[in-house]
Amino acid sequence: MMKKLSILLVFFLAGMPFGISQTLENIDGKALFGDLKARHIGPALMSGRINDMEVHPTNSKILFAGTAGGGVWKSNDGGATFNPIFDEYCQSIGAVALDPNDPDRTIYVGTGETWTRNSVSIGDGLYKSTDGGANWTKLGFKDSERIANIIVNPKNSQEVYVGVLGALWGDSEERGVYKSMDGGTTWERLLYVNPKTGCADLAMDPNDPNVLYASMWEFRRTGWSFESGGANSALYKSTDGGKSWNKIHNGFPEGNLGRLAIAVAPSNPNVLYTVIEAEKDERKGLYRSDDAGASWKQLNNDFGITVRPFYFSRIVVDPKNEDVVVKGGLSGSISRDGGKTFKNLGNMHSDIHDIAFNIKDSDIMYVGTDGGVYRSWDGGTTMEIVENLPLSQFYHISVDDAEPYNVYGGLQDNGSWWGPSSSPGGVEARDWNSVGFGDGFRVLKHPTKNIIYSEMQGADNVWRYDVDRMLTKTIQPLPTSEDQKLRWNWNAPMAVSTHQPDRFYMGSQYVHKSEDMGDTWEIISPDLTTNDPSKQNQEDSGGLSVDNSGAENHTTIFTIAESSLDENVIWVGTDDGNVQVTRDGGKTWTNTTGNIPDLPANTWCYHIEASVFEPGTAYAVFDGHTMNDMTPYAYKTTDFGQSWKSIISEDVVGFVRNIQEDYVNPDLLFLGTEFGLYITMDGGATWKKFTNNMPSVAIHFIDLQKRTSDLVLGTHGRGVIIIDDISPLRSINNEVLAKNVHFFDTPDTVIDETSSFSGSFGTETQFVGPNKTKSVQIKYYLKKRHTFGKMAMEIQDMDGNQMAELSPGKSKGINIVTWNYRRKLPKIAKGKTFSFGGFTAPRVPEGTYKVVMTKGKETYEHSFNLVYDKNSPLSKKDRELKNATTMQLYDMTQELAYLVYELDEIVRNAELKGDKKTVSKLNALKETLVITTGDNYVGSAEPQLREHMADLYSKVASSYDKPTAAELNNLAVISARFNKAQQDFQKIRDKYLKKQELEFKSFDEFLESR
Amino acid sequence: MKTLKILTTLLFFTLILPIQAQTADEILTNYFENTGGLDNWKALEGLKIAGKVNQQGMEFPINILQLKDGRQMSSFVFQGKEIKQGVYDGETLWNTNFMTMKAEKADAEQTANFKLNTNDFPDAFIDYEAKGYTVELIGKETTDGTETFKIKLVKEPVTVDGVEKDDVSFYYFDTENFVPIAVESEITSGQGKGQMSKTTMSDYQEAGGLYFAYSTTQYVNGNLIWTMSMDNIEINPAIDESAFAFPEEIAEEK
Repeated sequence: MMKKLSILLVFFLAGMPFGISQTLENIDGKALFGDLKARHIGPALMSGRINDMEVHPTNSKILFAGTAGGGVWKSNDGGATFNPIFDEYCQSIGAVALDPNDPDRTIYVGTGETWTRNSVSIGDGLYKSTDGGANWTKLGFKDSERIANIIVNPKNSQEVYVGVLGALWGDSEERGVYKSMDGGTTWERLLYVNPKTGCADLAMDPNDPNVLYASMWEFRRTGWSFESGGANSALYKSTDGGKSWNKIHNGFPEGNLGRLAIAVAPSNPNVLYTVIEAEKDERKGLYRSDDAGASWKQLNNDFGITVRPFYFSRIVVDPKNEDVVVKGGLSGSISRDGGKTFKNLGNMHSDIHDIAFNIKDSDIMYVGTDGGVYRSWDGGTTMEIVENLPLSQFYHISVDDAEPYNVYGGLQDNGSWWGPSSSPGGVEARDWNSVGFGDGFRVLKHPTKNIIYSEMQGADNVWRYDVDRMLTKTIQPLPTSEDQKLRWNWNAPMAVSTHQPDRFYMGSQYVHKSEDMGDTWEIISPDLTTNDPSKQNQEDSGGLSVDNSGAENHTTIFTIAESSLDENVIWVGTDDGNVQVTRDGGKTWTNTTGNIPDLPANTWCYHIEASVFEPGTAYAVFDGHTMNDMTPYAYKTTDFGQSWKSIISEDVVGFVRNIQEDYVNPDLLFLGTEFGLYITMDGGATWKKFTNNMPSVAIHFIDLQKRTSDLVLGTHGRGVIIIDDISPLRSINNEVLAKNVHFFDTPDTVIDETSSFSGSFGTETQFVGPNKTKSVQIKYYLKKRHTFGKMAMEIQDMDGNQMAELSPGKSKGINIVTWNYRRKLPKIAKGKTFSFGGFTAPRVPEGTYKVVMTKGKETYEHSFNLVYDKNSPLSKKDRELKNATTMQLYDMTQELAYLVYELDEIVRNAELKGDKKTVSKLNALKETLVITTGDNYVGSAEPQLREHMADLYSKVASSYDKPTAAELNNLAVISARFNKAQQDFQKIRDKYLKKQELEFKSFDEFLESR
Repeated sequence: MKTLKILTTLLFFTLILPIQAQTADEILTNYFENTGGLDNWKALEGLKIAGKVNQQGMEFPINILQLKDGRQMSSFVFQGKEIKQGVYDGETLWNTNFMTMKAEKADAEQTANFKLNTNDFPDAFIDYEAKGYTVELIGKETTDGTETFKIKLVKEPVTVDGVEKDDVSFYYFDTENFVPIAVESEITSGQGKGQMSKTTMSDYQEAGGLYFAYSTTQYVNGNLIWTMSMDNIEINPAIDESAFAFPEEIAEEK
């Protein structure tokens, strides 16, 4: 009694709508977005920046890659393939470390990359997993921004050291060397210098965990400068587990120091290596100590060793040989004579950040570069790339209106590319096309011609590529007078016009406009920046090592947006905080920055989105992180910038780089922040984080493909990510949220009849991006998850005939069920082997169909249309012939199945009765109807009627075309053969049934049977 | 009066407790209580399940037989022919080869790992401590849009390519009614190695006084692989003992 009651009660409660009512304001993204899911298309062929490599101490098959912007990836197969294990958290990784006492379970991840280029992402603390990466706990260090090292005492899991490099863009006291004695719960800061100096490297003596080495680095970056080095940079040693520290500079260069690396040789802990950034070039380079740091000797200052210390400062010593030492660098360098001489590592992507040796065989090496992870099997001479790490770091993306549409974009250190959003067999490496060298940024398709614009850093080259003719020219604006110096951002803005297809904009400090695709340029603005000369001294940038790459160019225009409603309205945002607008095509400009409330002066305007609804409406987002301000800023104006209103809610985490307005619902907006994607359906009053297969990755640019309503995200670390068809979000409102079930409109779906021969050749270890489905998608909202009782779904034609049964989604929120517009498989006659033609299900004809969903006692219906491709060569008559022939064969196949069923039943009965004659006659007949011997592979027997019939059925049903004359002739042959078989069987059957009573399933019962 | 009291208690129990802290054991107790009672679960001798699998739009019938002594069998029906997969006769784990339609033994490692689970019928959580398993409440998490308790179950270590590995799975129990609505675990071998497998459960219905999920959906890395819906679940079925035995090679019928 008690049990029954409790069960009843559960049902009762499960159906009860308790709690407060669900509204846009209070519903969580995870409870709403349901099956709306991100799809990753890479590319992975050029991969992306790796910050840290980590190998398992005892299992050589397991290794980890901590990436600059794409999270943590684990390989279980010795580096052949990797899987992500940290998607829900900050994707910028400084260090990954395993507890050597419990390496299968305990993993630490320190976030925030440590090779501090201009475009680095930020971290948000230290994480720990005790189950091999399935679950993570944040241990703190929320203001650390960058964690350089984590070391667990190999003799005591509770003792953990962390080297915190700390904030790049401003002062911070959360820096230095920290220690925990309780596995990371509490921390003590052991070594701290000042708010500008952090721990750049930390090492432990493998034999004596009380001996530690820490390099401290004084550094600072601004939007317009970088400074490495100062009086506080130093190398320290502790011999008492970090309680006290002493500088170990005996033999070091005089003067200020910059970034220092430190490595202890695992096979001989008295041997140390450091790389020193010093004031004098001749004193920079590799130093070695053979007495555990008591004295140092300079061994080498080749370019490969001294190049860009802020970017390359990793030394790794072969665990088996103290004289084999590898240094990160532009190409990576390896020495086999204890550091005296070096040669480059083998050909691979440049910019080598970390190296790890295989624990069993030092010839096997794993190398982390700006272009992914490479493996070597021969001690670093030959390098091969890991092909399934889609870590590409986009600065910008755009889309075209091709079918399927293409995605265009530029990558950090990896040029410019375009590739399809879907491709036969999935989006593979070979689908991507290169369209620019250097660092790539904006890539735009000409609105009407097959021409692509792309650029490299600082607009050094702006390319116009005629795709059909494979003709390239550079078209960047050039100075128009001797004293004119154009200031281009590293990531210089370009824009095309929806009004004039040949129009092309670029921004230096001025707006440049061309009406002939970049052949002639006109400056249509004054200097729109603050033109602050104190931010224009890039030749002095770098600190101890001059670093004037152009990456720090400042007081430049960063974003240009021409209104799609009025070509005279152009919005411009600058990296030093100006938002300018012209309403007369550039004759006059108004700086509206002063009208933006609560925005710190000079905050970088990252993107302006001109509204498609009103010419006076625009959105502007601002990124203050280069001024050490991580606040999200997004504003909206409806009066050409005379007033701006913040549209950020406290739901948003991370500074903002981009915003995208919907084309249909003005209250639907998409926001890209340093930590992922946020969506508002109420004009910014509340934002929901989107997390379905969507990592917490930095989003640099968002575009919405107009025809498909696909949201396309350019991420800085996980390539291009697409959310297919966001249209259900347009109709989400409180009224819909209050309904038990709500079907979203289903747009007419084209029946896809295309096919290709594209196989998966060579993609076994490659990343392949999944395609957008071509099936019809039935989308509905459920107020509550369906857990108890039956829920079913089927497709019917409008006369109520069942076409297919589907498995409905049961999630709370948006559910998406796909139907491939095919009927059920035909029932096939039972033989000894399979009839492979029988595994074809026919497509239904175009028309209106309805989905019938039953949920408990309720039934819900929703209709939708299937249409033929308008480019199909088939006429209406052709279609009718094709469908009729297909169904004739489908039905005939099932009739044969029923005949064979009856035949088998009679044989069984006759055997029981000892009627050998009937058995023998029927078996002889059966041998001509179905295969009764052999197997499904090369032992197959001669095909019989079933095989011929099913093969023809499959041939006709699978073709896009109407049946050929050959097929119709063959059909006549098979029909005649079947008629004959029916007649032969009927005779034996009738005769037998006169003698014996035998009941058969009806034809319909037979079709329904298992 | 007594009924009212029970009802009130249960109402309180179901409505209030989810809001407060729960232990993993309390959640499991509620789960068994709400699905028919632990004693009844323990008394279960076997299950015979008839259902349908839908994979990439293709639907085919499936029969599953599971017994308390660990024996089990799945069979698919293609074109009227039964193809047995994952058959365990108490000693041997075997499958039907699709090319030859003949039985072949699973490799030794897979069989050994399979044997470790033969004491898990009908539910791994029953007497988990006695079996040497550990259970831990990780916390609350939203899955399938719904608030759940996430419980980690660690069973005997399995051996993968010669290396011992923890056998960990994560169960998501609906905080409202305590039934599991999803299970997640890492795929440890084969092409999908390192990817996450997730099964969601729904359409809980009664069969023989116990509540079973009549619908399950399988995902790998978030992508739908197949769905299975049960048409009928029979408890303590009569069985043909010989159906489990590994068939020795039989001469080709002529």
